[in-house]
Amino acid sequence: MKTKDDSNQSVKRMDRPNVASNPSTAAGTQEMTEQQKLQQQLQIFQNSLPKVSQTVYMMLLNECVPLSMAVERKHGDCTSKLDGNGDDEVSQTGEQLQKIHVSPPLDPPSHQLCRELYEADEEKHNRVLDRLRNIGFEIGNKITELLVFSNNPNLQFKDMDLLSVMKFICRDVWRQMFNKQIDNLKTNHRGTFYLFDYDYQPIQSFALDSESSEKELQMVKPFLEIAVGVIKGVLASIGHAPEDVICLASYVDRPEEKPRASFTKGVSFHVQVAM
Amino acid sequence: MAIYSFWIFDKHCNCIFDREWTLISNSASGTINSKQTEETAKLLYGMIYSLRSVTQKLSKDDTANDVRSISIGKYRIHTYCTASGLWFVLLSDYKQPSYSHVLRYIHSHIYVKYVTHNILSPYDFAENENETRGQGFRKISNRNFISAVEAFLGPMIAQ
Repeated sequence: MKTKDDSNQSVKRMDRPNVASNPSTAAGTQEMTEQQKLQQQLQIFQNSLPKVSQTVYMMLLNECVPLSMAVERKHGDCTSKLDGNGDDEVSQTGEQLQKIHVSPPLDPPSHQLCRELYEADEEKHNRVLDRLRNIGFEIGNKITELLVFSNNPNLQFKDMDLLSVMKFICRDVWRQMFNKQIDNLKTNHRGTFYLFDYDYQPIQSFALDSESSEKELQMVKPFLEIAVGVIKGVLASIGHAPEDVICLASYVDRPEEKPRASFTKGVSFHVQVAM
Repeated sequence: MAIYSFWIFDKHCNCIFDREWTLISNSASGTINSKQTEETAKLLYGMIYSLRSVTQKLSKDDTANDVRSISIGKYRIHTYCTASGLWFVLLSDYKQPSYSHVLRYIHSHIYVKYVTHNILSPYDFAENENETRGQGFRKISNRNFISAVEAFLGPMIAQ
């Protein structure tokens, strides 16, 4: 999860308290040193984390989508075979076992799986999306643990309201996972939040041919579901049960002042938490 | 330094991308992934292939001995071959001796970014056995890749 760029990040993190909504701006030197001590601790923690390549991590994260599709395919195959006939099931399972061990057939390449997912009927499509949300949920559930363990001076879980939990997602979780913060957070203070990410990292280099932009948006959509799961997972780990949370991802246009990234649309996550 | 055309071949001997400029004054002129250049692509591939095999036979020791550029009466061909079997080929005039940095940049910053990292695009352009051995017809048609190549090579056409 940690990336090579993190040395720069920690440096950035050092001067964040000025920006963060810290009530004790006029704090005494004692408190500042406390804060500095925490920051030093955080830096040491960050440096001690094993570093992995950003590229490989992003590729693995993206590969979750074809993986889910492949699992869904195999699952479908198995159930249809089992439904078919029950009389010589034993010999068939034996055959299947042999097939599995001797030469497991390779799954089709990722781009074909993505196309299949796009062409799949709605029920199957939803099952794959559920799988993806579950993968994201597991990641999100655990990432809080990592960030609590990191002794981050900006986090105080004991008196965190929903807004600061969302801020925590926008700032720390996003930075940990996607190497950037959420660009914009909007709320109505009644449990509805909009999280805008105008260049969502994992999908930046995705593109089809020039003509098929609507199809492209539909094909990229499953890649947003992991992040949806992550948001739900983080909220679940902080005590908002997943059934109380609705989280949906959709595309939004980029505002004018944002520099053009290679993917045409920004992403908006709509989170609704029952209070 | 003017460049005339740019080609990519994959490990199955297929031409997966071609771009030919016809007017030096206009960087948008010419053809992209055209059917007409199919024969040219085959001839170009054959020429580089033969010269590569000659150079490999003429190398003194076992280290790889690759063709970097081929100069002909009218123009110069620059090649850059990767270990994965991709060939990046650029045709230019005589003004600049080496384009290897340009080809390396196209591979590492454009091809890898927009084709390899793009999960929606195939990474192997021969989808089945029949399309290997130079029989393939699939091309890189991904819009990011094409626009990045245009933006990068465009200014070099008429310098």
